[in-house]
Amino acid sequence: MRLFLDFVPVLVWALLAVVLVGGMLFASWVLRPHVLQNSEKTSSYECGEEPIGPARIAYPYNYLVYTILFVVVDVMGAFLWLLAGSSFRLDVGVVWQVLVFVLIIMGGMGFAMKKLPETFLSGQETLTLYRKAKIERELKELETGGH
Amino acid sequence: MMQVDIWFEQLEFVLIAGIVIFLAWLALEHRDIVYAAFFFGFMASFVAGFYLLLEAPFIAGMQIAVYTGGISALIVFAVLLLPRAQDSSLETFASPRRRRIGLVISSLVGMLSAALALFFPWYETFSPDLPPLEFNLELLSQWLWSEHGIYVMMTALILLTAIVGAIAILQMDKAESLISIEGEFGIESVEEPIDDEASIEEPSEEVGNE
Amino acid sequence: MMVKRNLIRILIGAEIMGNGVNIALVAVSIYSPAFSFVGQGLIILVISVAAAHTALAMVLMLIYNRRYNTVDLGTPIALEDDEHV
Repeated sequence: MRLFLDFVPVLVWALLAVVLVGGMLFASWVLRPHVLQNSEKTSSYECGEEPIGPARIAYPYNYLVYTILFVVVDVMGAFLWLLAGSSFRLDVGVVWQVLVFVLIIMGGMGFAMKKLPETFLSGQETLTLYRKAKIERELKELETGGH
Repeated sequence: MMQVDIWFEQLEFVLIAGIVIFLAWLALEHRDIVYAAFFFGFMASFVAGFYLLLEAPFIAGMQIAVYTGGISALIVFAVLLLPRAQDSSLETFASPRRRRIGLVISSLVGMLSAALALFFPWYETFSPDLPPLEFNLELLSQWLWSEHGIYVMMTALILLTAIVGAIAILQMDKAESLISIEGEFGIESVEEPIDDEASIEEPSEEVGNE
Repeated sequence: MMVKRNLIRILIGAEIMGNGVNIALVAVSIYSPAFSFVGQGLIILVISVAAAHTALAMVLMLIYNRRYNTVDLGTPIALEDDEHV
């Protein structure tokens, strides 16, 4: 109860953030000239071409692994943060436990460090990929004659 | 004075409980799944407020760091990586039989928790000797690391399993065209690689051509 | 959560239930007659394990998406004439 009262300023700050952002969005909505929803002005700009299909693309799966890595390191950080606030963190019995803990998780990170570079494209492969794509595009433009 | 104290505490609890339940309902039922993922992160922050009511300041901080900062980000990533999920026209409604079963089970759980919450004599079990809050972090770390340090090691192994499993199960390919590129290092390739950073990564084949 | 068919909503529902269990766990540590740190200590371990298993649940979801190209749970039944049946 007393702790909650200590943290009420955080709640007030969060509410203030929401109110401010909401207020700014509302003000811009009031000041905007209104556009009909289906008119040409609301379609996305594609340098003169007609946009086809929805704009949501699929990201490669590789980015998920970095997020998982972050979560694991975050949990490890929370454990170490708990230990850092104690007075016995430099005892011999505790230090080797912490060392084993950190080493286990860093072992996992080391495995990730070995496996993840296989998913990158090295410099040579990027170059050949670009060259191939460029040749393909030139062939297509030859066929279609500049659309 | 005691009356106002108890009344205020009940008001806080009801307020935060109401917000959390409302956000959780929104997170599950909103049509747009991006909204649902963000409502889940929002709800996790308010649950940290719950922990503050229960006199656990470190748990509140850990909840915000791990749940809102990590797991909520994971769910937003799931929404990002699966473009089919963002199509709200795919939400098919459950059959009436499923709905009835869900209603029965949820009412059972609701009655059980209502019985526990309202009829159990909670105030008698409230212990009068709580350690003061300044020592919470110290005592908690002593409990976790000194007395029960073995469980921390087991959690480290579980986290290790998470990393290794995620990388091993999820076969991340480079571009499929790279499989044939190995034999094409001819006259046009350079001796030295230009750079070894990740420049482009091709999307996997199933979601490339929508 | 039981009536939903979108995989991501099921994951969100499971996480919300896990949060509820965590709150009950912390409540145990205060409302027990002899105050001990069991509730608070256990919850640290539970939160970390939940983080790890949410990560793996997401990986499984991505594999499901790779196989069926959807996040609907009804597709393996709807495609009854699949060769893997």
